[in-house]
Amino acid sequence: MRRGWFLNVCLLLGYAFLYVPVLLLVATSFNPNRLTTVLSGFSLRWYAALWADDKLIEAALLSLRIAAVSATGATVLGTIAGFALARFGRFPGRGAFAALLSARLVLPDVLVGLSLLLLFVQMEQTIGWPQGRGALTITLAHVSVSLSYVAIVIEARLTDAGSELEDAAMDLGASPLAAFGLVTLPLLAPALLSGWLLAFTLSLDDLVVATFVSGPGASTLPMVVFSALRLGVTPELNALATVILALVSVSLGGAWFLQQRAGRAVVPGQAGA
Amino acid sequence: MGWVRRLVPVLLLLVGHAALAQDRVLNVYNWTDYIDPKVLERFTSETGIKVRYDVYDSLETLEGKLLAGNSGYDIVVPTAEPTFSRLIAAKALLPLDRSKIPHWSNLDPKLMQRVEVSDPGNRNGAIYLWGTIGLGMIPERIQALDPGAPLDSWDLLLKPEHAKKLADCGISVMDSAIDTIPSVLKYLGRNPESTDAKDLADVERTLMTIRPYIRTFASGGAVEALAGGQTCLSMTYSGDVIQAAARAKEAGQKTVRYVAPKEFAALTFDMLAVPADAPHPAEAMQFINFLLQPDVMAAITNQVRYPNAIPASRDAITPEVRDDPNVYPDTASPRFFTVRATPQAADRLRTRMWARFKAGH
Repeated sequence: MRRGWFLNVCLLLGYAFLYVPVLLLVATSFNPNRLTTVLSGFSLRWYAALWADDKLIEAALLSLRIAAVSATGATVLGTIAGFALARFGRFPGRGAFAALLSARLVLPDVLVGLSLLLLFVQMEQTIGWPQGRGALTITLAHVSVSLSYVAIVIEARLTDAGSELEDAAMDLGASPLAAFGLVTLPLLAPALLSGWLLAFTLSLDDLVVATFVSGPGASTLPMVVFSALRLGVTPELNALATVILALVSVSLGGAWFLQQRAGRAVVPGQAGA
Repeated sequence: MGWVRRLVPVLLLLVGHAALAQDRVLNVYNWTDYIDPKVLERFTSETGIKVRYDVYDSLETLEGKLLAGNSGYDIVVPTAEPTFSRLIAAKALLPLDRSKIPHWSNLDPKLMQRVEVSDPGNRNGAIYLWGTIGLGMIPERIQALDPGAPLDSWDLLLKPEHAKKLADCGISVMDSAIDTIPSVLKYLGRNPESTDAKDLADVERTLMTIRPYIRTFASGGAVEALAGGQTCLSMTYSGDVIQAAARAKEAGQKTVRYVAPKEFAALTFDMLAVPADAPHPAEAMQFINFLLQPDVMAAITNQVRYPNAIPASRDAITPEVRDDPNVYPDTASPRFFTVRATPQAADRLRTRMWARFKAGH
């Protein structure tokens, strides 16, 4: 099909809208000038500064750690919730459970952050746990925020896939647990991965909730970056963004490559069957 | 049960989150970019106390954390008005134990007396750094647009005939009613603490005459805009302009200058204080005592370019900071004034007026 010049221009503009800011950010990270807005040559000065900036590196590592742990927690709990909604039929109160789960999606972050802060303060006063606030409370808060997203991804996938394969496995003698482990989970693998990635991204992105529930010594990357804005950003942040961008591109590319390979391995098998 | 074994590292990671350090620690919560990092290293090597250092970029963040309770911080640095006095009123601060702070005697008694309007008897805080609220500018660009403009006067900003000419090169005003309104009241010859509705209406009228020429209300980024030349006149804190000047110089931009106008300028103080529920109050007193040493304070002033309240530190401060009367003003001069935060009812009127001013109608 031949596209007209108009559609081509639209395509170009659309992608430019998405990626020109990112490219600009990468380009200015190689600018030696202290002022992001004044271009003057090429240098790796800000990458060196970034390498020496313990505070920023520490915050980045903390953010990645919280994101990984909370995404895993949210995926486990969200899968259970999604499975219950998709497979347990029309149990009483199902509508209410489903609504309560998705209602969390529309709650503003400020409310979630404030209410979790009050919860943690109350809990510390009454049962003495969690002691103080820090990485642990941020992780718990992020699990609570991203759980609903994962549940919805999983539920959708399970509803799409139907329950025939599981029924067949159980007809052939598998226990419900074995059917879940041997049939449902592998079937869910792509949804689990995308749910996990979604939760990971939400956690890495979050500024508002983390600001409320963090404590001494636990500043996540968005918190550090945002507080640095008062005196204007230095290109060190551009360098950091470029590094993160590179890491994300490489891991996404890697995941795609693995999926392609897995896909090729499956196709001949299916053809032979 | 292979999956249990696989879960163990995850659980360990969670537990590691909660692990508490056994050695002595101090949790500091300060403004961003407001200390010399070497000072913290020195404190740790002299005392063995590990410092966990976090930063905030607005007083609202600080107040929110402290008023929720159990913040976990041992040292905070609220600005005298409004936050410091509000925290005192809410009994959220621990009175300082001066027997543990022998270096208290290094503090300038005249400056400490200024803070007594917020903290009678200086029981709850010591001055960390202070500054004035005035005008940051690029003189060369202003003179090009408005030859003979009064660079050392509030007229430059508050008289529409000057502001109009500078609109093209960019004017910014700090987005802070509490820092702006007292200066305008004073400019109109009123009491800067006035809560009178008529006075406030006059302030609004004055501000509205220059409103069309204001490009931005900056709560952050005023430094960046001035240094990069996106604005040429900015009403803001002295120290921020001095940092902008250093950046502009480094980037080869036009010279940036700070002026504490000749008529008057408001003083602001950032106070060292200890939250009432601080987990390590003894370490906090030790830290305050450490900071009040002349060589330590000189290092901090040299780094962040705000003046301190330790007169004995003067000799160790770099001449470009020390000898500029706009940066390091003579506070004995009557042109510097301090104000108390207004009562809540008056605050509401001010906030509404400020919102109208920002919206421009």
